[in-house]
Amino acid sequence: MAQPAPLAPEVELAYEMPEQVTLLSDAWRRIRRNRLALVGLVIVTVLFIVALISIVWTPYPTWLQAVGPTYEPPSLKHLLGLDQAGRDIFSRIMGGALITIEVGVGSAIIVSLIGIPLGLMAGFYRGAVDTVISFFINIWYGIPDLLVALILVFVLSDALHLIPRGVVVIIIAFSLTRWMDVARLVRGQALSLREREFVEAARMSGARDFSLLLRHIFPNALGPIIVQSTFAIPAAVLFEAFLSFLGLGLPSPTPSWGAMAADGYHGMDFAPHIVLAPTIALSLTLMAFNWVGDGLRDAFDPRMRR
Amino acid sequence: MRGTLIYVSQRLVLIAVTTVLVSSIVFLLLHQIPGNAFLNETRQNQQSIAAQMHYYGLDLPLPTQYINWVTGVLHGNLGESLVNRGVQITPLLVRETSVSATVGFFALLVTIGLGLILGVVAALRQNTWVDYIASSASVVGYSIPSFVIAIFGLLIFGHYLFIWTGGSFFYQPGWGKLEQIPVPALALGLPYASYVARLTRASMLETIRTDYVRTAWAKGLKARVVVLRHALRNALIPVVTILGPLVTGIITGSVVIENIFGIPGLGKEFVTSILARDYNIVIGVFTFYAALVGLANLSVDVIYPILDPRIRY
Repeated sequence: MAQPAPLAPEVELAYEMPEQVTLLSDAWRRIRRNRLALVGLVIVTVLFIVALISIVWTPYPTWLQAVGPTYEPPSLKHLLGLDQAGRDIFSRIMGGALITIEVGVGSAIIVSLIGIPLGLMAGFYRGAVDTVISFFINIWYGIPDLLVALILVFVLSDALHLIPRGVVVIIIAFSLTRWMDVARLVRGQALSLREREFVEAARMSGARDFSLLLRHIFPNALGPIIVQSTFAIPAAVLFEAFLSFLGLGLPSPTPSWGAMAADGYHGMDFAPHIVLAPTIALSLTLMAFNWVGDGLRDAFDPRMRR
Repeated sequence: MRGTLIYVSQRLVLIAVTTVLVSSIVFLLLHQIPGNAFLNETRQNQQSIAAQMHYYGLDLPLPTQYINWVTGVLHGNLGESLVNRGVQITPLLVRETSVSATVGFFALLVTIGLGLILGVVAALRQNTWVDYIASSASVVGYSIPSFVIAIFGLLIFGHYLFIWTGGSFFYQPGWGKLEQIPVPALALGLPYASYVARLTRASMLETIRTDYVRTAWAKGLKARVVVLRHALRNALIPVVTILGPLVTGIITGSVVIENIFGIPGLGKEFVTSILARDYNIVIGVFTFYAALVGLANLSVDVIYPILDPRIRY
């Protein structure tokens, strides 16, 4: 392509343009080389597809009882067998995938919505604002978060009837007790980014605080934020399963994997398939999200950059 | 030493403040609830409900109730159970805490012992089958929730072991015998053990390539001395930093483990009393948990300077 050119501008044009690299395409290139993350990504994709399908179709309705003999082991007609009420476990696993996605993604979004603004403000304004926000972050780290969330679910739904017991109340309880991971991370990012030259330059050219935060600091902290939010998904999924397993989470006909495990737990000696299906589905899901999270962290980690 | 003492006493004050503050929030939340714990007892008439309310001081205005409760907490008195009248909460919870602490201690032993051994062995035998097995186990293990491991543990050690050995040797859920400790401790400790193993392997791999470890080998020290004293002690530093969250995780994780294995500890009490609407015990257990988590984090922070002398208070 290179050709002798009489004029300077044309010389520049003659160089081969390097491939344009954005934050996301760069991360994608590196995550593609991480086999474990790819496996995780495949499992997560399957989970999403199953969840979407379950909205419109499951082999049997997830709540329908006595579609066959109770405790029936897996067969061709019922791939994962029937549970103690004669419900089709395969359908309920599909329905559970949707619940899992709702809880996980919903919590990740809410946690980010709380944590990012608080972290940005603490890191950017420092001083009194930072002192107050950091104080709350530290206090929150000192409390048994799982138990507070459990009480919150109970108080908000059962006792006060503010929100019907369901996915929403679980997302709220989780987010109110686990926002500080994201907030602390964003605070650290904002603290270091605000001293960088490009922020200085933007400030010199008259950018207001709001646009400094939104257009200059936030986009540059995006990588770590995505990683941290990804790790909120398995944590929220585990929280929901934990609550439902104890009988304090989603109410009975809801096909939550934790509740299904609790159902099968009592008949474990003679019908282990009831407890195995949801626990394996849950473990696979948590594994997949953790692997994707680890892969993303390696992909976005600036120290690993060539 | 003086510095450490001052630091510890400051932290103790902060823990006390946090505990009272957080349980106050729970107290106020639970007292917003319409109705009371006695309404589900249908046989009662209005008069006897009023008498019950008066007995527990629930007919007083909320600020008075709150002041009474805080005064009680500061005197170590958490009040009386709403469901089992006459049962004092503080001694009950102290007894249950010792049970939970036993399980937690053994779970921590599993976590640190197993995690360190797996991590060190995997790092020393890097890229051999030992490493592959240990690494894949930890990559899988840290995503499996403890209650799933508990279910599998019950299935294997409680059910199948019973069949295989003809009922002569198996795990029976419950509490009180020595042989009932290992299965719950393993279930509680294994996910965290995998996490510790991953961290240890990574930091060991970094440490065994440093100059001072090469020097230690070169001057002819025994393998045991090089690995344990030169490499592991330095490799431990990043592992120690996660001890705080780890201990918190084991304490809160015990809630579900105790319910599965029927262990009469704090966690079982917590869930039972929530389901029975026994708010006094719920607040009490919560206060205990908040204090426990604070104290556990404090003891981790006190251990730091012993392992890493660069840290001083």
